[in-house]
Amino acid sequence: MESKMIDDENAGAMGSALIKVMSLFFIGIMIIAFTANPVSVGTGEGQRAPDIDGKFYNGTGWSDMEFGSYFNTSWEEGDINGQWVVIEFMDTDCPACQRAAEDYGSYANYFSVSNSEWNGPHVNFLASATELSIQGHNSDRQEIQDFRADNGHNFPYIDDLDQDNMGEWGIPGTPTYFLIQPDGIIAWSSPEHSGEKVSDAIFRLTPRSA
Amino acid sequence: MASNALVAVYLVPTLIGLFIVSPWGGLLTNSLKDRYPSLNSVRGQLLAGLQLISLAGFAVSAQTLWISSKISEGGSFCSSSSTFSCDDLLGNSKLNVDPFFGLSWGLIGMAVFALLLFIVFVLQQEHNHAMAERMISMGLLSTGVGVLIIGLLVSYELKEGKLCLYCTTAHIANLAALVGFFRLKRLYENNSEWNS
Repeated sequence: MESKMIDDENAGAMGSALIKVMSLFFIGIMIIAFTANPVSVGTGEGQRAPDIDGKFYNGTGWSDMEFGSYFNTSWEEGDINGQWVVIEFMDTDCPACQRAAEDYGSYANYFSVSNSEWNGPHVNFLASATELSIQGHNSDRQEIQDFRADNGHNFPYIDDLDQDNMGEWGIPGTPTYFLIQPDGIIAWSSPEHSGEKVSDAIFRLTPRSA
Repeated sequence: MASNALVAVYLVPTLIGLFIVSPWGGLLTNSLKDRYPSLNSVRGQLLAGLQLISLAGFAVSAQTLWISSKISEGGSFCSSSSTFSCDDLLGNSKLNVDPFFGLSWGLIGMAVFALLLFIVFVLQQEHNHAMAERMISMGLLSTGVGVLIIGLLVSYELKEGKLCLYCTTAHIANLAALVGFFRLKRLYENNSEWNS
């Protein structure tokens, strides 16, 4: 009986090379998969908060922002000692932000370890001040300092006049609020809970001492 | 600082590979010819150099993917206030992925260097493979497109004012592979030298 088998003389070289390379590739991927546990970065709940760049004003001068220093990645859920972060994206010329300033300041005073009425974790409040691309919205660092002083705020204001942070966070409008866990994961965001105040979210999501 | 020193593990083999694929590669491989007979031919030298470069490029790309993953967990690897801070680039969720599909540059690097390794392995076994010319051209094209991508990534580094040494090592590996595949193509076109 005549054999009809077709030999491909080059198939051996390709097959052997393919096995070697695929093995190498999957070993590499497996090592990464077993030694790292990546969390996606973004502004949705459950994602790691993106970085905040720029200078911040704390009442005395403008310094480099170290957003990462607010977080402790080894924090475990339920641990009351971890410090939470609330960040507000605002514009000093935005009427809604001006109206919200008083409440935001009072939240910062209330959700603090120095307030004996609050039995939850310390919450650090931040404000990222931008200049929206709307006619009549002209801001500068002096205006940010004045806004902070006029509202009696004692928390840091970040200079985001160039809208860099706002762009990276995908902020749809101002004011927008985010509540961030001590490990840097976003626990709540106002765009995902338009009917809930940030203060209610803090009451609902943070652990309490007995 | 130690994390930046670790980059030498990838950079040294890359530079040795670059030297081997350069016209002066014989100076380095002469003493090894007795042990590795394949180095007796220029083709063997080029393929050996390319193998070293592709392996180092693959490994450093895998390392950048790992660093990006660790940073996303909240850790840091090579964070520094100096210019040499790869965390600022590999940890930047906008810059560490390609702008079209959102794939990590580290993963893309792994895939490209794996392709180059595949080509090298095939040519080492069957230098007159029916698809040899096409594969050499594919290697040249991949590394040529890589130069454009290097331009984009260097522009990110300039914009951020930071330099990622791991990324730079991967870029050097791509340029070294480009040199290697260019010389390999020239060699292939000269039939007698290719088969010597």
